[in-house]
Amino acid sequence: MDPSASDDQKMIMESSARLMDQLCPMTQVRANAYRDSGFALTYRRQASELGWFSMLVPEDLAGGNVSGNGVLDATLIAFERGRHLQPAPFVGTNVVAYAVARDGSPDHKAKVLPGLTSGEVAAAWLPLPTTPGQGISATRTSAGYELSGRSTHIQDADSAAWLLITAEADSGVVQALVEPTAPGLTITPLDSLDITRRFAEVEADKVEVSAEALVGHGDARELVERQLAVACVLTTAESVGAMDHDFEMTLQYAKDRIAFGRPIGSFQAIKHLLADTSLMLEMSKAITLAAANSVGADDGYGLEAASMAKAFVGDCAIDLAQNCFQVFGGIGFTWEHDQHLYLRRITTDSALFGDPAWHRERLCQLAGL
Amino acid sequence: MAASPMADTDMEDFRAEARSWLEANMEAKPRLSRLGSSDSRTHEEIAASRDLQRKLFNGGWAGISYPSEYGGRGLTAAHERAFKQESLGFVMPDFGGAGHVMFGAIGRSLLAHASAEFLQRHIPRILSGEELWCQFYSEPEAGSDLAGIRTSATRDGDRWILRGSKIWSTGANHADCAMCLARTDWNAPKHRGLTWFAVPTDAEGLTIRTIMQINGAAGFCQEFLDDVEVNHDDIIGEVNKGWAVAQTMLVYERGAGDAGPTPAEPRRLAPDLVALATKAGRASDPVARQLLARAHVNDYAQFHLGRRVAARLRSTQTPDPAVAAYGKLASGTLAPIRARIAVEIAGVAALGWAGGDSSAQQTATDYLNGRMGSIAAGTNEMQRNGIGERVLGLPREPSFDSNKAFAEVVRAARNWDGRVG
Repeated sequence: MDPSASDDQKMIMESSARLMDQLCPMTQVRANAYRDSGFALTYRRQASELGWFSMLVPEDLAGGNVSGNGVLDATLIAFERGRHLQPAPFVGTNVVAYAVARDGSPDHKAKVLPGLTSGEVAAAWLPLPTTPGQGISATRTSAGYELSGRSTHIQDADSAAWLLITAEADSGVVQALVEPTAPGLTITPLDSLDITRRFAEVEADKVEVSAEALVGHGDARELVERQLAVACVLTTAESVGAMDHDFEMTLQYAKDRIAFGRPIGSFQAIKHLLADTSLMLEMSKAITLAAANSVGADDGYGLEAASMAKAFVGDCAIDLAQNCFQVFGGIGFTWEHDQHLYLRRITTDSALFGDPAWHRERLCQLAGL
Repeated sequence: MAASPMADTDMEDFRAEARSWLEANMEAKPRLSRLGSSDSRTHEEIAASRDLQRKLFNGGWAGISYPSEYGGRGLTAAHERAFKQESLGFVMPDFGGAGHVMFGAIGRSLLAHASAEFLQRHIPRILSGEELWCQFYSEPEAGSDLAGIRTSATRDGDRWILRGSKIWSTGANHADCAMCLARTDWNAPKHRGLTWFAVPTDAEGLTIRTIMQINGAAGFCQEFLDDVEVNHDDIIGEVNKGWAVAQTMLVYERGAGDAGPTPAEPRRLAPDLVALATKAGRASDPVARQLLARAHVNDYAQFHLGRRVAARLRSTQTPDPAVAAYGKLASGTLAPIRARIAVEIAGVAALGWAGGDSSAQQTATDYLNGRMGSIAAGTNEMQRNGIGERVLGLPREPSFDSNKAFAEVVRAARNWDGRVG
């Protein structure tokens, strides 16, 4: 993924890949093993030993990263996760850990972070809506806020110990850390295109949140924007990982499959398609790493860079998956073949946290146009 | 690559020396200098550039990374880059694309393959601007298939007689000398019968014509060689081993060792397209916004692809130059898209304008020029072959012309009945 990766970074990637191969290979992915709470706990605990949920949390809060740029380190892990089509709310848990570590109250830091970084529990991050007819609104009450509305397609919301809900209020944006048992909160698992992960819809009906539950003071819009950038970079990295593996399978097939007396990859029709596809993949890796570097270094360009990566990869990923389908031919349209799992994953990642068109419009707005 | 503190000091001293020389000797560039990089140059512009090149040479600033025994300075590519950066604010010699070819592809290939005597004779003259060089490489019947050239060179004692036609020679109309590829053995397979010659452009029997391009400019030429005579010691490299020289040349032509200044990361939302949209009253039009943001995202991805390719080339002991084809294919495929986006945003304003409105005309000119990168210096298809075969490891297509005498290849192609095997 990263030709400039350090030995430490390579080691984390390799150990992560080994863990996934042992604990959650494709047979387990297909069997939805992560839906079993015992499996999920083992999985998260072992992953946490490799630092999966600590990279965005500073050392004094029991976190820590490898390279000094925790977003970049988490991006490299996300890439490996994507290659293995892994379940588990890696993005949600990391974004919530990031939000709490950065802007949470001392009480939140003490109560929430240890569980997240050790893998004992997972969290779900509920962003502002990117499609119409969605979203949760907050109304001020004497004790805090009352939340009502709907946020859908949230990964593993039904098994999360914490939900960080983002809501629009008259005064701006508020964020509240809520337990799934909060009165008025209904979490309904969804059937979805992506069968390698589980998504749920969260409905809030007059959910009371106290001032202590809030993350950030005053308008939380800026905090939410930073969280969105992290969510986009990590999601994009998982997508690029999925693209990488999908392409790898396809390339091997083009070398092995014989038609008209020679490997089909020797035909320019296939070779050129694969060359174009590998260019998309190289550019997707390049832009994702650029965004990870920018967001992690807090260089003032992270929001733009993250949106660019999300927009670019969101389009390329689907084109790549289609090109791979074309090379595989009929076998790729079978249930047994993993190709469709990658297509399902890639398509879902493209839509999560803003699809390419949404991020292009956002880029115009960020530029003041 | 970690530079030692010593090297840093050395580089800082070098930069300081360069700055003070530039300030004392060269003219500052006017703030509003000419935009775009058309390859056509007038004779006056070339003459002025030759004078500036001579000035650089006399000051010891020409051929910074060329060996000192041939008039260069014997320093590294990093020094060359540093000097380019320091000189950005000054009026420097500008030979257009021909300069890039001459100091890059041609100069480097000569250094790698020509005899010491040849280099003594020519390199100092090249570095001083006295001798401008161009390539006689592609032919009307050989573009992508470069090894399939048909210009022939026949030996006659100590002389060689060249016969054929060359095309797409950048700046041949201003050049003093050409590096010309010719077939010296028609009975050998195509890659093994080629030889490079130095041909003076005032040689008898040589005709050079400029080619008017689709944008109205004339940067390229076509040549006709009608029994042009050259000497045996005008051969560059060895007889029938010209393909090795061509390989070196192609690597430099694709930008390896390019000492050009690194462009900045494109952070501002496509300023040219925002200006077009604003001028067209479409800054709030969601369609135009999608288009210009798409172009900007592509620009940003392309920039970081360039960095990635450079990092990939640095990260292995034996870098495969084929990786550089990614950069070429990206620009070859994205430039036409970007040009089209500009026209879509501008609408009819890009298609018609009041006579003499050069800023309105720019979009149309860019639209036409946007096609160049997909063909010039290796078509998109050749980049795809390079990536497919050398980076991805896919097998080659079966060929009709390897291990067969080239004369037989040409004959067989003319008489082909469309059947295979």
